[in-house]
Amino acid sequence: MKILLTGLNHKTAPVELRERLAIAPDQLAEETRSLLSHPGIREGLILSTCNRVELLVAYEGDDPELETYLNRQYSVDAASLLPHLYHYRETEAVRHLFRVASSLDSMVVGEPQILGQVKESYTVARSVGAVGGNLERLLQGAFSTAKKIRSETQIGASSVSIASVAVDLARKIFGSLEGKRVLLVGAGKMSELAARHLLGHGASSLLISNRTHERAVKMAQKFDGHVIRFEDLYTRGDEADIVITSTGSPEFLFRTPHAQQFLHRRRNRPMIFIDIAVPRDVEPEMNRLDGIFLYDIDDLQSLATSNLTGRSREAERAETILQEEVARYQRRIESLDVVPTLVGLQSYAESVRQAELRRAHSRLQSLTPDQMAAVEAVTRGLVNKFLHHPLQALKSAARDGNTDALNAIRTAFQLNETQESVSPTSHREAGHPHSFEEEND
Amino acid sequence: MFLLWLRLAAVLYGLASVSVFAAVFGNRPRWRTICLPLAGLAWFAHLVSSVEMLALAHRLMPVGMHEVQSMLALLISTVFLVIALRYRTLSFGIFALPLAFLLVVVPALGPDKYTFASPVIRSGWLFVHVTALLMAYAALIFSLIASFLYLIQERRLKDKRSPGFLNWLPPLDTMDQIAQRTLILGFHGMTIGLLAGSLIAQESVGAAYFADPKVLLSFVMWGLYVVMLFVRRSTGLRGRRAVYLSSIVFLVMLSVWAANLFSTVHRFSAP
Repeated sequence: MKILLTGLNHKTAPVELRERLAIAPDQLAEETRSLLSHPGIREGLILSTCNRVELLVAYEGDDPELETYLNRQYSVDAASLLPHLYHYRETEAVRHLFRVASSLDSMVVGEPQILGQVKESYTVARSVGAVGGNLERLLQGAFSTAKKIRSETQIGASSVSIASVAVDLARKIFGSLEGKRVLLVGAGKMSELAARHLLGHGASSLLISNRTHERAVKMAQKFDGHVIRFEDLYTRGDEADIVITSTGSPEFLFRTPHAQQFLHRRRNRPMIFIDIAVPRDVEPEMNRLDGIFLYDIDDLQSLATSNLTGRSREAERAETILQEEVARYQRRIESLDVVPTLVGLQSYAESVRQAELRRAHSRLQSLTPDQMAAVEAVTRGLVNKFLHHPLQALKSAARDGNTDALNAIRTAFQLNETQESVSPTSHREAGHPHSFEEEND
Repeated sequence: MFLLWLRLAAVLYGLASVSVFAAVFGNRPRWRTICLPLAGLAWFAHLVSSVEMLALAHRLMPVGMHEVQSMLALLISTVFLVIALRYRTLSFGIFALPLAFLLVVVPALGPDKYTFASPVIRSGWLFVHVTALLMAYAALIFSLIASFLYLIQERRLKDKRSPGFLNWLPPLDTMDQIAQRTLILGFHGMTIGLLAGSLIAQESVGAAYFADPKVLLSFVMWGLYVVMLFVRRSTGLRGRRAVYLSSIVFLVMLSVWAANLFSTVHRFSAP
């Protein structure tokens, strides 16, 4: 089984393209199912966030050509899609997935949301039966690496989140956040984080508007904020100085005429729109209006990366951990590959049998061919019988991912990784398994 | 002695100008800490020089180009210090300190030959007239600078590119507040200055004074000022349009200054 990861992210594709490929959470299961039905694909997972759309698959046979799948599925023409796609295979795919889950590949390095998003995708993929042993191991490895990096470095603690970029921007415009009102449109995790940050830096109050009114009410209670009904958004939107939008709306929620109305009612006092939704909620042309400052997810990225330098040391440490974890994962995957061990064990037993027969050759010379064939059959039967349980144990340990059991069996028979290349025809002294290693050193 | 103080002030303004550029553009914390004390010392030396000079001449008001320049420089550095202390920003020093230096450097070279013949020279009203109007000019210059900086900062924030050399700009809201408050300060100064001037004119020249081009232009400027204040406050005008409006008023102000050449009554120099 081979692993392939194909996708695009904030570094390779502009938001205009990303928003065309973005998958709404309620459609993720359906999309994962259709990915699984693509020829050759045995296991699959789709990660779709505001910053990336990635397909992770385990496949057999020929390359599944995921770009044709993307073309067909999203009716994006190949010419505009291909230059933005990346493909990672095997170890590279493992490394990339680990980086993504650990938030090292994020727009805002160290931000905590991405791990949750990967877990969400994993849960959905598992629920539709798209995760088998290969992806299961891979994702568990990614989760534990992310956890390790988070606990052993300061990358999360000092992370420049979107929220803090928003705070910086607000300071550049308003000087201080004191007395400023924040409106959240769409009650997602990301906007919740931003709101918490802004309130923590002195913003006076929070207004919340959500298509599902109950969710808005729930969040308002949490933050001691006020709810604006979704249908009152345009009549009351001007009450806010900072608007953070993160809805799943496929069309623009705020357009230039809305902003003009807001400005008129605010007597031209400036307003900041932070649009973290993909597809975007705010019409880009709005930024041309005097007094409107619009930042979409890509703008925040460029600002966030300019803040990165201070955390490069932590990022370096995180990269080191990542390399170690990838190497460890590879070793584990290799150790789970029992075929060389099975072959090695069988050839070892066979060589012992052959050696013993050779040793007894002079004493067996008097035997008739029939009797000789019987001796052959008996010794072979003995060896096979003797090996039956260890071989079964090896197979089931590999199936369960039980490396401890695998290692115990390998140690018992003194089969280490170097034995994989052993030729079953090599001659060695029976009863001296050590020579087996020495020959191959 | 006042010339010595003025020369000291000129040197200190020069040093403060250098330090403000290093502090703001180079983002050097050490320069940042010495810039304000240097400017403060320059201001103090300048103040001492002005007081000594006026005391020596037994009059209350500056006369001649040198003294008026020096007085304007003093007012500009005063406004700069007030803004720097109130809003914690040195950015305005980029304009204010070199301007103060340039305005002071010629008067510091030597005393003016200019003498002032009119007997009103010792009137307190004339002092009010000149100082209030100079204050208005200084305030308007700051308002214009603030509006320009607002525009630059606005463009930068909209462009979303973040060039480091423009990081020195204060927040938009601060610039807007400075533009508004200096505008109001300037308005008060101008109103008081014109009232005092009219009062003196009534006493000395009579009604003919009000037909003078300089005087008429001054009142036009005042009218424009009222309009600008009204528009800015009622619509919350900011950004590009606010700069246009401030620039127009500023140009009119310059033309009022220049109109001295055509004025028949606003001439006080000795023949």
